[in-house]
Amino acid sequence: MKIKVKGIGLTKFGELWDKSLLDLALEASIDAIKDSGINKSKIDAVFVGNMLTGKIAGQDHLGPVITSSLGLNAASFRIEGACASGGLAVHLAVQGILAGTYKNILVVGAEKMTDASSNQITWALMGASSSKERKAGLTFPALYALMTQAHMQKYGTTRKQLAQVSVKNHYHASLNKKAQYPYEITTEKVLNSNLISYPITLFDSSPITDGAGAIMLSAETDSKGVFITGSAVASDTIDLSERASLTELKATQIASKKALEQAGVGIKDIKVCEVHDCFTIAEVMAMEDLGVCPAGAGGKFIEKGNTRLNGKCPINTSGGLKACGHPVGATGVKQIIEITEQLRKSAGQRQVKDADIGLTQNVGGTGATVVVHVLQNL
Amino acid sequence: MSSPVTVWRNHKNLRNYLGKKAAVLVWTKIYIAPEGFEHEAPYFVAIVKLEDGRKMPLQMVECEEKDLTPNRKVTLVVRKLGKVGLDKVIEYGVKAKPRS
Ligand SMILES: CC(C)(COP(=O)(O)OP(=O)(O)OC[C@H]1O[C@@H](n2cnc3c(N)ncnc32)[C@H](O)[C@@H]1OP(=O)(O)O)[C@@H](O)C(=O)NCCC(=O)NCCS
Repeated sequence: MKIKVKGIGLTKFGELWDKSLLDLALEASIDAIKDSGINKSKIDAVFVGNMLTGKIAGQDHLGPVITSSLGLNAASFRIEGACASGGLAVHLAVQGILAGTYKNILVVGAEKMTDASSNQITWALMGASSSKERKAGLTFPALYALMTQAHMQKYGTTRKQLAQVSVKNHYHASLNKKAQYPYEITTEKVLNSNLISYPITLFDSSPITDGAGAIMLSAETDSKGVFITGSAVASDTIDLSERASLTELKATQIASKKALEQAGVGIKDIKVCEVHDCFTIAEVMAMEDLGVCPAGAGGKFIEKGNTRLNGKCPINTSGGLKACGHPVGATGVKQIIEITEQLRKSAGQRQVKDADIGLTQNVGGTGATVVVHVLQNL
Repeated sequence: MSSPVTVWRNHKNLRNYLGKKAAVLVWTKIYIAPEGFEHEAPYFVAIVKLEDGRKMPLQMVECEEKDLTPNRKVTLVVRKLGKVGLDKVIEYGVKAKPRS
């Protein structure tokens, strides 16, 4: 598989009161089109990753909302897979090009979350879970708190180790102008911030964010550049309690194995990753499920600084969901953009030396959907 | 919250859980609740394992933090779920209560 990432565009992430969903989606799209050098009339299709707009703003049918504002009559689709909506949109666009149906596809991931209250967002996000979980009054922070407790019980992982995910990602975000929280924090700040759902605190959690990212994918293979060389999706039970294990995401294991096989590389070849750290425990499980470190060893692995910029395997150089922000439908696209920047060597102060192969892992719900992409500079 | 007909349909299943025994696997205490549950926060939710091996998430009632030791035995009970909706239909569901 060799699908070119020909253009990228990313808005600032944050609480952007003066911008609507459409403003954000258009800003990212126009930047990606410009960056690709492709004339807009050559766009065959627009794939839009979005989760919440139908529910919190009453606007469904987002495909044509965006194509019409771009002045296009191209095929358009809105793709929903909870917080993996963006990654799924990228995966489907890759399939559209591989099938030979489309040559140039604009993939847009966009979400406008801060117009709603925190309780409304907490409720709306629970659409990604099971009805039993909703009836139990669970929330996403609470579901990941249950996984945190299970990891602590099984492997002795500590809250201090988990806090290192947040400390590292805030450090990375401090080097990223687009990040929602571009400042450093301390371990104490994470441990002593307000409890959201025990043992998860405010600083273990990704925030509520507005933002959009767009990429232009192309069938063109005869020039150098950044290419998607692996793209796979796997699923698991929608209800967390029905899984055999609460300390791993089987869908990450399956999707990453497939994507790495497609790319013909191993996890040891990956120089930089963007993973779905919606809560600190999620980054620890991602490292273990991807095989960056053995199962149960994630806490110690991060404590040693292995995943910091200039460490053995830098993870979430953008600042991750925690500190760059998590506009849910945009996240999967933003991850591809960060890895593309790294492989193009245009990541500035966040640049990972010798980055030639990268990976993204985007999770929907508690791991009921996982999308993994491998990117290479060829 | 659910419509009256959904509530009626869901209520028919409650008898399948009533009085069943289970054990707590993992738990959390929720401080920021979803819409419809704000008035109950903070509250406990656990994943419990029933005697037949099935696992499910349940809100805990009549429970304090000291009750939530690993493998704590609980009984399934029927209680009101969340806030009463606009159409004033009271929805009941299954919750778990520590066994004394
Ligand atoms: C954690 C959470 C509940 C906090 O929301 P909240 O308690 O309503 O927080 P507020 O919006 O009132 O913000 C309070 C302050 O904390 C800051 N803040 C909010 N979330 C933050 C976060 N995750 N990290 C750091 N700071 C945060 C705000 O900027 C604000 O600062 P200010 O007072 O200086 O302006 C909310 O961010 C959340 O639900 N996150 C999870 C989102 C999620 O589940 N995504 C899907 C994952 S699968």
